[in-house]
Amino acid sequence: MNWLNAFKFRLNTLGIVLIPVCIGIDWAGRSIDKALNLPLFLDSIGTVLGGLLAGPWVGALSGFIANFINAGTVDPIAAWYSIVSLGIGFAAGIAGYYSWQRRRPWGWIALWILVFLVASIVSTPLNIGLFSGQSGVWFGDGVYTGLVKAGIPTWIASYFDEASVDIVDKGISVLVAILIYQGLPKRYRSLFRLYRPAEEEPEDKRSPARA
Amino acid sequence: MPRGLSLYVQGGSPLHRAHPFTKGLLTLAAIALAYIAPSLPWVVAIGLVLVALMTLAGVIRRFLVLALALLLPLTGLLLVVQGLVNPANRTVLIPLGPLSLYREGIGIAILTAGRLVDLVAATFLFSFTTRPADFAEALVQRGLSPRLGYVVQSALQIIQQTLETADRIRDAQRARGLETEGPILRRARAFLPLLLPVVLSSLVATQERAMALEVRGFGLRGPRVARYVVPDTASQRALRWALVLLAPLALIARIAGWR
Repeated sequence: MNWLNAFKFRLNTLGIVLIPVCIGIDWAGRSIDKALNLPLFLDSIGTVLGGLLAGPWVGALSGFIANFINAGTVDPIAAWYSIVSLGIGFAAGIAGYYSWQRRRPWGWIALWILVFLVASIVSTPLNIGLFSGQSGVWFGDGVYTGLVKAGIPTWIASYFDEASVDIVDKGISVLVAILIYQGLPKRYRSLFRLYRPAEEEPEDKRSPARA
Repeated sequence: MPRGLSLYVQGGSPLHRAHPFTKGLLTLAAIALAYIAPSLPWVVAIGLVLVALMTLAGVIRRFLVLALALLLPLTGLLLVVQGLVNPANRTVLIPLGPLSLYREGIGIAILTAGRLVDLVAATFLFSFTTRPADFAEALVQRGLSPRLGYVVQSALQIIQQTLETADRIRDAQRARGLETEGPILRRARAFLPLLLPVVLSSLVATQERAMALEVRGFGLRGPRVARYVVPDTASQRALRWALVLLAPLALIARIAGWR
């Protein structure tokens, strides 16, 4: 299994320090989203960015811990969805290992679909257990009501409830994370790489000394 | 350090003094019981115990404010959607033609909401009475890698700093004429110019922080000596075992026919 190589490395100090920073970016994304009054969450940008920059462990750990901090400060229900963020971080980390973010547009679309599938599939059983199948977002719950009324089994309706919200939210989160990644100075992109990527950028060979 | 995000309320109640793990297990056990319990009276009873504990800790008013803001909209959605379309619906409660609300769905919505109340109460009970630093310290003293302990401990502070940076950048960008109000597309376009500077400045700070930690021996192997040992007692250790056993026992009772 080739993609498992993405998981093989020890976190150095820089990687460890990047985790709380990604958690901070997750929060900043959500707070700006709230300040601009946009109808989405946009709270996994840091998780995706961490995965792209420094691999699956940094992405997954930042998503996982961000959810628990969210649970302890704002929304206790978020703790259950930490497993979703864990999956998103792993997905972004594997994508980063294969440098999908540099293959426009198919790599971008692939990352979007991967993150969307992980988020919606992992969230659905949680929604069924916690909210009798609803997602708690009025738009998605409207979809749920319509589907169940039309005689669709509740677990399928529940999936489409979650998916209708996630497909937009995760699409924008992934797009923003990739755009930020592209906007970073090359120095930073290579600084956080904890492993030799699947295919090396030639300019990155003279990377600065690692802390 | 600013109080920031942490919900911790200073206090001297037995709950405040308890070891973070005792409170953590209490939270987990209460949540597990709320979902194992078969019917609404049990769920309400668990909620009442949690409310009594919060009264004891003197945090009940903060809990009511936060929990109502969080749970009222969710409960409303649950009542409407389950009342309308739950597959178990048979008996009409409120006849409104095609939008009739059914008794069975409403019942399920109330049970679901009751469990959510227990979950929220149990979690807030922990975060109101536990200082985050104590929790991280307790984790490290029980064998969590000190490096991950740093992550847990620093995250709250870094979130706070990042949010402050985000506020400052919002003001700066507005002063330069960035539109942050108006139709949704205009607001959406402001998202990147607001987020990118935050990310860049956080990443710059990351490198400096990594160096600062590194010169202080952050990456060294070997055991760490704690200057502050989180107090623990034998009775709490016994209580923790009891809490650990509670959920499996409830599960066995449920399988054996607890109604």
